[in-house]
Amino acid sequence: MTTRRTREFFARGAPTREPSRAGIVGAIVAKDLLTFSRDKLWMVLTPVALVFIVTMFYLMPPRVDETLVIGVHPPAMAAALRLAMGVGDDQVALTVVPFEDEAAMAAAVAGDVPEGAPRPLIGVSLPIDLLLRARLGQSTTARVYVDAAVPNEVRGAMTTAVREVAATAAGAPLPVAWSADEFVVLGTDRAGAQIPLRERMRPMLAFMVLITESLALAGLVAVEVSQRTATALLATPARTVDVLLAKGIVGTLLAFSQALLVLVVTRAFGPGWGVLLLATLLGAMLMAAIGMLTGAAGKDFIGTLFYGMVFLIVLMVPAIAQLFPGSAAPWIQALPSYGLVEAMTGSSVYGLGFGDLAGHLATAAVWTAVLFGLGWWVLGRKLVTL
Amino acid sequence: MIRKDLALGPRSPILMYAVAMPVIITLLLQGVFGNLFERPPRLGIVDLGASELTAAAVALDGLRVTLVTDADELQRRVAAFDLDAGLVLPAGFDDALRSGARPPLTFYVAGESLASDRVILAVTTIDLLRAVEGRRGLVDVEIVAPGGEGVPLQLRLVPFAVLMALFAAGVFVTSFSFAEEREKRTLDALLASPMTLGEVLWAKGLFGGVLAAAMATVTLALNGALVGQAVGLLLALAVGAVMAALFGLLYGVLSPDTKVLYALFKSLNLVVFAPALFYVFPDWPRWIAYLFPTYWLIDPIVEIGQRGAGLGDVWWQLVIGAAICGAMALLVGRLSERVRAPVGA
Repeated sequence: MTTRRTREFFARGAPTREPSRAGIVGAIVAKDLLTFSRDKLWMVLTPVALVFIVTMFYLMPPRVDETLVIGVHPPAMAAALRLAMGVGDDQVALTVVPFEDEAAMAAAVAGDVPEGAPRPLIGVSLPIDLLLRARLGQSTTARVYVDAAVPNEVRGAMTTAVREVAATAAGAPLPVAWSADEFVVLGTDRAGAQIPLRERMRPMLAFMVLITESLALAGLVAVEVSQRTATALLATPARTVDVLLAKGIVGTLLAFSQALLVLVVTRAFGPGWGVLLLATLLGAMLMAAIGMLTGAAGKDFIGTLFYGMVFLIVLMVPAIAQLFPGSAAPWIQALPSYGLVEAMTGSSVYGLGFGDLAGHLATAAVWTAVLFGLGWWVLGRKLVTL
Repeated sequence: MIRKDLALGPRSPILMYAVAMPVIITLLLQGVFGNLFERPPRLGIVDLGASELTAAAVALDGLRVTLVTDADELQRRVAAFDLDAGLVLPAGFDDALRSGARPPLTFYVAGESLASDRVILAVTTIDLLRAVEGRRGLVDVEIVAPGGEGVPLQLRLVPFAVLMALFAAGVFVTSFSFAEEREKRTLDALLASPMTLGEVLWAKGLFGGVLAAAMATVTLALNGALVGQAVGLLLALAVGAVMAALFGLLYGVLSPDTKVLYALFKSLNLVVFAPALFYVFPDWPRWIAYLFPTYWLIDPIVEIGQRGAGLGDVWWQLVIGAAICGAMALLVGRLSERVRAPVGA
């Protein structure tokens, strides 16, 4: 019994002209996207990964806490402590909370503070006769209360601050000719306007999405290779180049669209949006190349996963390095993804444009071309030898 | 069955992963994330005259001091935020300081350094200057920690490392091994032999459980957290390993193939590892952690292995953990019926 579609197919007869190359590539892309949409694994993992990444971003603190909250007893000593530490009333580095009672201050440092009140992690109790004794050159004892989380360098600094209160009272000048106002700040001064960790994490989050999609493409390719459906494809008018082009397009499309979604939802696009868009596209192409390379091995799911992860963990390193202050080590700068991450960070975090990031974009483009070429060559060889 | 898994196991990337995991995670947590969240302020010093200040700064606890060769290099590194701040000490600096000449001193600060770090570094520098000058010590300062001394972040991350080790071995190895048997239809061949499905599950669980206990012990040892009572620790590790293996069997019987298993891992890992967060952030309400089954696996191990608690302190947690294991074993037994059905068909 024949269906209506079968009857129509035979009624049309054999095709009268060769399909165009674009048509063939488009047909393979459509087939791959359909296969992807039918794969329960990726249809579950993709939204889960997206939701997880975006949730993680918004759960992280939107601001950097760079203020030392210090309790002082008696309250009259607050100004002397600020002076000794060289911090003015308007500076974000220090918040001084005065306490009338030393026991209350100790309790506050231990965590017993009223709802909404600032909790000092350090409490400085200065003897009421400190200034007098200091002037007379007599020694005295002060007490510094600290929370367990206060690191050693802060404890040391507080000890010094207390000594400086006494030194100032005794009329001892600073042993060098400088003051806190005369610091030379090198680079953009971000005191009070630090970039939160989550902003620096954006390239890493985008990379996590790209990785998921790279593995998805690798899975698609691996199935084509292991089940020899690629051979069937090549028995049609499709050439190896068409298949390779289609795989590259599918991988880039999947990775680019989802990385873009994450960047939009995490509000990454600012003044440097053009660079970010280009860097994301290059990143998607890079991941498509990795997908072609690892998929060409034609291993089962676990094999593909492990081959892919070897590449992808290495490519993640520059994104992780962004979380640390300062410049990356030379070996990190030599990794293929370094330029991409720098371009993404520069554009989304610092709002830099093409002029500032041209070098990084050029490096990223070269690496992408090299890896894409390698993926193309490896998969191409695999397809013709199947 | 166990002999076969032992013989073929080393060829599997999953087993390699489970064995390498304790070392990798320990390196990552101690070396990378410990430094990431508790990074000490970094001071660069150009010392052109062998100043005592430099030696004193290097000896300070909680400060990372880098010696830089010249002022230009120092300014470049401070501007790149490779250092939080920097000082240039000219030749004869100490003598000038002691003579009361008040030599000029420039304090370079990185624009991206935290305001609090700037103050700490400046105040610490003043203290070092006073020490070289020889005019320190009018006030004795007593440091008091009213809430007691806390646990450093590196140690707070140990539960996470132990959970990873238990799960890499107990869950990954057990579940992947069983799911692969199903996917490749070798389970059908096994069940055609005198072996029952229960025996297959036992063998897989035992292999993963023993490996999990071994890897968790290795992780505790690598992190210097093998200090507690041996019997208690052994019992806690046993409960942990059994629960991990049961999680592995549960994932295995729920997954018809390795792809579904991978999706299960990705989806449920957050729930499995959530209790570890309560050690990293000790201020979070602990009752929330009680809701996660894996809390009852990890807490006795941490209490005994890291905090030196005895069996008497954690017996009730072990009982709850054992009860959860019992419930999970029943669940695995019930769900394994779904595995048996298609094979019989």
